[in-house]
Amino acid sequence: MRRTFSDIKSNRCGVSFLLTVIIALFINNTSFGQTEVLKNIDVWGTRPLRDTGVQRTVFDSLALKQNVALSMADILAFNSSVFVKNYGRATLSTVSFRGTSPSHTQVTWNGMRINNPMLGSTDFSTIPSFFVDKAALLHGSSSVNATGGALGGVVQLSTTPDNADSTKHKIQYTQGVGSFKTFDEFLRYSYSNAKWNLSTRLSFASSPNDYKYVNRDKKENIYDDNHNIIGQYYPTERNRSGAYKDFNAMQQVYYRLDNGDLVGIDAWYLNSNRELPMLTTDYGDDWAFDNRQREQTLRAVMKWSHYRRNWSAIASAGYVHTHLAYDYAREVAPGHMESMTRSRSRIHTGYLSADIAWYPSEKWMFTVNAAAHQHFVMSRDKNVILIDGNTAIVGYNKARFEFSGALSAKWQPIDPVGISIIGRQEVFGDKTAFIPAVLFDVMLYRPKNVLFKASFSRNHKFPSLNDLYFMPGGNPDLRDESGYTYDAGMSFNHAGSSPITYDTGLSFNWFDSYIDDWIIWLPTTKGFFSPRNVKKVHAYGIETRANIDLRFPHDVTLGLTGNYSWTPSINRGEPMSPADRSVGRQLPYVPLHSASVVGTVTWHKWGFTYKWSYYSRRFTMSNNDLTLSGTLPPYFMNNILLWRNFTFRPVSMQCKLAVNNLFNEHYLSVLAHPMPGINFEFFITITL
Amino acid sequence: MNRLQFFISVTSLCALCLLSGCMEWDYDIDSDSVNLSGKGLFIINEGNFQYGNASLSYYDPATDSVQNQVFFQSNGMKLGDVAQSMTIWDNRGWMVVNNSHVIFAIDIENGREIGRITNLTSPRYIHFISAEKAYVTQLWDNRITVVNPSTFSVTGYIEVPGMTMETGSTEQMVSYGDYVFCNCWSYQNRIIKIDTRTDQVVDQLSIGIQPTSLVIDKNNNIWTVTDGGYEGSPYGYEAPSLYCINAESFSVSRVFTFALGDNPSEIQINRDGTLLFWINKDIWRMDVDDLRLPDTPFINARGTKYYGLTVSPYNGDVYVADAIDYQQQGIIYRYNSRGDYISEFYAGITPGAFCWK
Repeated sequence: MRRTFSDIKSNRCGVSFLLTVIIALFINNTSFGQTEVLKNIDVWGTRPLRDTGVQRTVFDSLALKQNVALSMADILAFNSSVFVKNYGRATLSTVSFRGTSPSHTQVTWNGMRINNPMLGSTDFSTIPSFFVDKAALLHGSSSVNATGGALGGVVQLSTTPDNADSTKHKIQYTQGVGSFKTFDEFLRYSYSNAKWNLSTRLSFASSPNDYKYVNRDKKENIYDDNHNIIGQYYPTERNRSGAYKDFNAMQQVYYRLDNGDLVGIDAWYLNSNRELPMLTTDYGDDWAFDNRQREQTLRAVMKWSHYRRNWSAIASAGYVHTHLAYDYAREVAPGHMESMTRSRSRIHTGYLSADIAWYPSEKWMFTVNAAAHQHFVMSRDKNVILIDGNTAIVGYNKARFEFSGALSAKWQPIDPVGISIIGRQEVFGDKTAFIPAVLFDVMLYRPKNVLFKASFSRNHKFPSLNDLYFMPGGNPDLRDESGYTYDAGMSFNHAGSSPITYDTGLSFNWFDSYIDDWIIWLPTTKGFFSPRNVKKVHAYGIETRANIDLRFPHDVTLGLTGNYSWTPSINRGEPMSPADRSVGRQLPYVPLHSASVVGTVTWHKWGFTYKWSYYSRRFTMSNNDLTLSGTLPPYFMNNILLWRNFTFRPVSMQCKLAVNNLFNEHYLSVLAHPMPGINFEFFITITL
Repeated sequence: MNRLQFFISVTSLCALCLLSGCMEWDYDIDSDSVNLSGKGLFIINEGNFQYGNASLSYYDPATDSVQNQVFFQSNGMKLGDVAQSMTIWDNRGWMVVNNSHVIFAIDIENGREIGRITNLTSPRYIHFISAEKAYVTQLWDNRITVVNPSTFSVTGYIEVPGMTMETGSTEQMVSYGDYVFCNCWSYQNRIIKIDTRTDQVVDQLSIGIQPTSLVIDKNNNIWTVTDGGYEGSPYGYEAPSLYCINAESFSVSRVFTFALGDNPSEIQINRDGTLLFWINKDIWRMDVDDLRLPDTPFINARGTKYYGLTVSPYNGDVYVADAIDYQQQGIIYRYNSRGDYISEFYAGITPGAFCWK
């Protein structure tokens, strides 16, 4: 049974509107007024005590707002050294941070941890970058400042209020139309005055996502009249069962009290309906199966911020509700689908946190932070008929309390030297762990901000609820994953204005991590998978980042940012059997080398961005076998953006063309999961 | 800066990043190198679920040589996702690839595809009734699919009573007279009896929880071993058992119970139908006429994760597959009929099933 996309039909009026605007674009007089351009909000300054020894990558705010079709997976892929494992376009995207597994990366949104407590990981493809105002990475030991359990690091996402001195209304509407009948809509209304700041964001994205690709994993047969094969060829197929419809809504309300305190609430609702694409090796018909995941998630955080001369306090309360539905159905008669799997999960999470910072002098800072998450999870995976004829549900129903509290002292004994000591206590259910960290930095040459940083931490990551309780296979006897991390690095940045305005930066970090009791889900003789603590992993390597921003006369700017990382992530465990050849080998799906470059040039109302990324060969087998399915070849990815701004007072407009996979590369991020070739999307943004 | 300069800048920026590379798709296929001579053993390597990396290996005991990736080398395409089983019929090898929803028929002399059967839900095993009829058992389907091997087409279905699509699970099959017996495994506890003349389930026998595999011995007794379910399962959790079922009367004649928590699986039988073999951490062997389970293993585990088992119909050698960590090439250990180690060789990822040529 083929599905139809009513939303695509309903978008016809949107397309008409878009065409009208395009025509208007070509007949307009482009000399109207001034263009309002988003400004880069990167700030270079003296190092605050709070950041003593911290290895942080802050994403350019322009990168987050490049186009409405981007998710945080795209942002991470092109703007950091994190490896994004992508199962397809608009499909599950997880990250490997410093050679660790997806659950070793903690993700916070406005301070609240949003990793799925059942899985432990985060799907970055479901986080639209237009719904994030600030994003940063905390690498390795630096993550202990924010939370525990981040053996790789932390991805910090947050939303911010506009700062306005006068009353201001602002409306922004963006429409995108692209390849594979892709439609993206985004609307933002914001209002701000000296007291209030309101913002509403809505977005809707949909596509049948049926991109073409040459399937080299299978062949179609040519038969003669006697059903003998007389020829074979690699078929050109479409991505089957890959359609998606994602709706996001976010409401922000902030109020500034007379005493300067800020009280605000951020609420974000996601409604996602995605088919799961068929594998390249699947000979089934897409109309014969319905393989679909639906998610509804509401995240809300209320925050009170209180800043004084030598102390500050932030208190937050939050709530997350997630409803996940997975359905796998088979057509058993024309037009009649029978359910094969009907999995349902509900997660309720309550969140409370408090952060207090005290600066008794210019040389000392003390912080206390405590965060508590209470999860209630109900997972129903299967309905079975019992021996007595009754029915029952296979699943689990669990609650877990998680607490993470930290005390830190930051000290600058002499001007160029900073030391930070953190002690963090984690409580997960009835298990506890202590996480210590020491961070150190020294300013070697102040005129050029040459800074040396080093840090050490011991970290623990507790098993997810599925690891412990999933039916069947959950293993309540799992130990927590734990490890040591050492970091050291140098950074430099310098800004000047002669002969042109420039701003440059360079950082180089070395890291070394040892992780014990790495959890892996393995098959069992009973036909299901079960997690076990099986590996010791030594992940080490280097991370480098360089950037240069130039501002030439005549309103010309040029910005270049590059990242490179070398990440050996080696299995150092005991052989699982005498024949085990995985010891001493790189972990599957962790590239040894990854790199990205983003360059942007703007001139008056024009802008152009080139995005390039590279991943080296990834092994898919633990013994690093070099045969057919043992490796995924390296690939380069090239994307471009070209835009022009227009102003029709009081309206400003931007037209933008995005070209993804510019050189139409055939590539795979994960075995048997097809990826799209060259594709285009055209955006129009109107701001009032 | 004028427009020309702007576009020169853009072009320069592009030049910096013009490091476009092409992913290599040259798989170095050499179908002529495939030589499936001799009375060899096909090893069906499941691969990893959702990664499409199942493969076929071929081992020639006479020369102690193995060829891996046979299907790919012969056909220039991958075998698929989760290869489950293989059966030889009419000099053709029929490979059931579960999550690719396909059964490939190959020439067992060169590995080349002869045809394929599609439109399957989640196929597990194929059992031949005649040149024009075979049964295909399935997971997540309450029907056994009837296919015509000569036309590679689905011709009908056998409805299995007491199952829904969600709990559907039919597994291995053996023939006795005009009947086919089939164990129902996942969240099931039954052996069903199918009349091949009418393609109907005519009887069923309730036994222990989750019978995993099925063989028939020299006395026309059917043997199956249950896995007992798992702790916390709403369907139940019990000590696994080895069942002996009289095919004629379709009744249980003997039951041998293991300890709670044991994981017996992969019951196999030698060519004469006199000796049973199974995996329960170690490898165990028992005479079909014995009245109690053996006390000591036939082959001891040695840090291994035995996943597949077969007995040579030619000389009684025992082949045991160790999946190791399920993410690398598994290893096959070869023992003689006395349980003495002979040799070993690596196959593909998760070697789970065997088929003798």
